[in-house]
Amino acid sequence: MNETLHTAAGAAPWGLLFMAIAATYLWRGLGTVIAARIDPDSALFQWIACVAYGLLAALISRILFLPVGLLERTEMVDRLGATAFGFLLFFAFKRNIGLGTLSAAAAFLLLVWARGQGIL
Amino acid sequence: MAGYGALVHSAGMSIWIAVVSTMGIWGLPGQVAFIEYVLLGAPVLSMVLAVSLANMRFLPMSLSLVPMFRGSPSGWRWRYLWVQLMSVNTWVGLIRKAPHLTPDQRGPYFAGFSSICMLAGAGGTAVGFFLAEALPFYVTVTLIFMNPVYFAFIFAAMRVRASLIAFAAGAVTGPLIYLLTPEWSLPISGLIAGSAGFFADRLLRRLA
Repeated sequence: MNETLHTAAGAAPWGLLFMAIAATYLWRGLGTVIAARIDPDSALFQWIACVAYGLLAALISRILFLPVGLLERTEMVDRLGATAFGFLLFFAFKRNIGLGTLSAAAAFLLLVWARGQGIL
Repeated sequence: MAGYGALVHSAGMSIWIAVVSTMGIWGLPGQVAFIEYVLLGAPVLSMVLAVSLANMRFLPMSLSLVPMFRGSPSGWRWRYLWVQLMSVNTWVGLIRKAPHLTPDQRGPYFAGFSSICMLAGAGGTAVGFFLAEALPFYVTVTLIFMNPVYFAFIFAAMRVRASLIAFAAGAVTGPLIYLLTPEWSLPISGLIAGSAGFFADRLLRRLA
């Protein structure tokens, strides 16, 4: 068997995308089928929510610490510093999500720009 | 969605992949996981698992959304289409508005404002994609940086203890398990961190 066929980069992007779409629709459709036959507040659903949050946290943290792609060309101290700055304002202003995101982005923009200019 | 468009561009994929993935997956966490996997070149099965687990929240969401259309023959018939239009925002929108609408009004109401949201999302993705093409490195990379950071704040605003523990555990296990097995790190750390949060919360509740 051809090794590349088994990796995401080897297969055609459209084939991968339709698998990703199907993998997502699975939950939407399944919910529709079993709606009203099951209790959404049950322990099983709490566990499902926890797994989704755990996976997303793992993804976020992996992207910030060990990025792949364009972010790889930025400094870790910039990524973490900008995120920390955003969290500072986020908590200072009653957990404002928009403010936190924008201030982290602004700080990051400034840091990357300054490095590009040779200032930092 | 502009940050996502920039991410797709940086992965070297086409504008059509960008727009169709926004409308087809229609859940940013799964979309970002999808592109990250393409960048990594990880096994297909691992990609499907990660995207699926990242978007697993749609199951409880559609469970609570679909009964809203009961009592309306036309609304009920289209329920498999309505769930495709469902995002966190449109779900909250209908749950909030439903008590003021008859079952017959809910289908058209939901279809109308959900498709506007989806078109806006597709437009935002396209804008981000083209901005990434035209703008200098420091702007493009900032757009991409906004994907993980935005999620971090969404979750930091949560008040549910089990989810918060799962989130903290995932932040620690994510990079560590990635060092052991880059290809399978997401499904594995999701299951470990999620179960840790779930059981830690039960234990704390029993002790309290």
